[in-house]
Amino acid sequence: MTMSSSSMKKLTKKELNQIFIRSCQLDISWDYERQQHIAYAYALTPVVRKLYPNKEDEEKRIEALRRGLEFMAITPQISPLLMGINAAMEEENANNSSFDGNSINAVKTSLMGPLAGIGDSLIPGTLRIIAAGIAISFASAGNILGPILYLLIFNIPAFIIRWYSLKFGYSFGSSFIEKIAKSGIMNKVSYYAGIVGLMVIGGMICQQIWLDLPIMVGSGDFAQPLTYYLDQIMPCLIQLGVFGFMYWILGKKVKTTTILLSLVVVCCAVSFIFGL
Amino acid sequence: MIVQALLIFCIAAFGYLNSFFASSNIGRPLVVSTLVGLALNDLRTGIIAGATLELVWLGAFPIGASNPPDYTSGAILGTAYVILTGADVASAVLLAVPVATLTALLSNFMMMFVVPIIGHRADRYADKGDCNGVDMMHYLAIVVQIIPQAGIVALAFYFGQPVIESVIASIPQWLNSGLNYATGIIPAIGFAMIARMIMNKQLACFLFLGFLLCAYLNMPIIGLAGIGSCIVAFLYFNEKRNNTVVMDGGVQDDNEF
Repeated sequence: MTMSSSSMKKLTKKELNQIFIRSCQLDISWDYERQQHIAYAYALTPVVRKLYPNKEDEEKRIEALRRGLEFMAITPQISPLLMGINAAMEEENANNSSFDGNSINAVKTSLMGPLAGIGDSLIPGTLRIIAAGIAISFASAGNILGPILYLLIFNIPAFIIRWYSLKFGYSFGSSFIEKIAKSGIMNKVSYYAGIVGLMVIGGMICQQIWLDLPIMVGSGDFAQPLTYYLDQIMPCLIQLGVFGFMYWILGKKVKTTTILLSLVVVCCAVSFIFGL
Repeated sequence: MIVQALLIFCIAAFGYLNSFFASSNIGRPLVVSTLVGLALNDLRTGIIAGATLELVWLGAFPIGASNPPDYTSGAILGTAYVILTGADVASAVLLAVPVATLTALLSNFMMMFVVPIIGHRADRYADKGDCNGVDMMHYLAIVVQIIPQAGIVALAFYFGQPVIESVIASIPQWLNSGLNYATGIIPAIGFAMIARMIMNKQLACFLFLGFLLCAYLNMPIIGLAGIGSCIVAFLYFNEKRNNTVVMDGGVQDDNEF
């Protein structure tokens, strides 16, 4: 299949501006299951619409939307970086029939963890604390400058970061793909990105799932929480078990809604029965 | 009183729309307390209460899957209480902290039940390739969250402190702790879904490598990504070298024996 350059699908400034505006809503439809997934997909629908407009693109359009709805957790202010890279990769996916769409997911997953780590400590962790510190000193004297400075000191840098991370993300994504295409390892991208992505997921299983069973083993002064013994076998064993169970049950084609509802019912029932 | 309750509803909705307006911190106590002061005609007290409450919740912001107490509602009701009763600013904290815990229960419930179900509807629109459907689900998720949350704040303001306290006291402990356990486990579903997408037998060991490094060495995510990148670089250059050898020698070394 050959393609002349005139039929190349290209994103314009309009789509990038839409990503910028839509990225501002990243945390508003947050949930516990996949965190920012709805808003992330929402931010990229202008790209999907532009790149896969026709009936014959339907399969790719469905895949692109599904990719957008995967688990996402990133600092809102630097999310445009990831969206820019993602948009550049979708662009390649639309034009190049040999491009492996799954690599987009792998790249996304491998980047979101470290970016969120840097972003969270930089923006809500540092920038917000600086802004609050300055603002509180004015506000505790009843000065209206307090809340005004708070918003300005936080938001001016935050918007600059947001804008440039989108520009950088998109151009970096494009040049990155070009380089990879030249070096001939295109089919390896999802493999390589998958390595980093899965390591990040492995770490998040440990850090972000928690189940603190208040069950005591032993009696009297020698009683120790059950988690103490489980940690001796392997730290985070419970978290790994919970993840393994979910992975297994998803393979059984059980609907996630069913899992979610029964999980809440079971948790409440257990708390009720054992009086936790 | 009704007009004031409506104003409180608007301030609460504005504060809860923080993540709609670029996560710009408009839901923080410093901002919403100032607005409450403006609405109740005592700007100065509003600002001072805002500063006090901002300090209380300075460390509270959402990171990853942990959700802080709902400081927006706490700040609004605490500030309103101080302005209306003329009480000491410090007593804003006494009312604001339990209120924030109570309304966090509601927003946790939304993010645990309601928004994931909307997310599954979005999945179904994605399966049909319907971009507008996905967009609509995003807007729906906003509306179903903001209106009840802001409504509860306005109602609490209208009925006053004794009612708030009795509602807080009547929530059964098992519901509270049951939901708490569920919030700790639910992220596992999301991780399992993404692992189903990108994991295969060849790569599964890297999930365990990440897990082990984190479990035994408490390694932060950035460190994991760094090690992952080193592994990738190693594999990449090794493969490049192998390819060069193949080209130089002109022999395919698929068969090592």
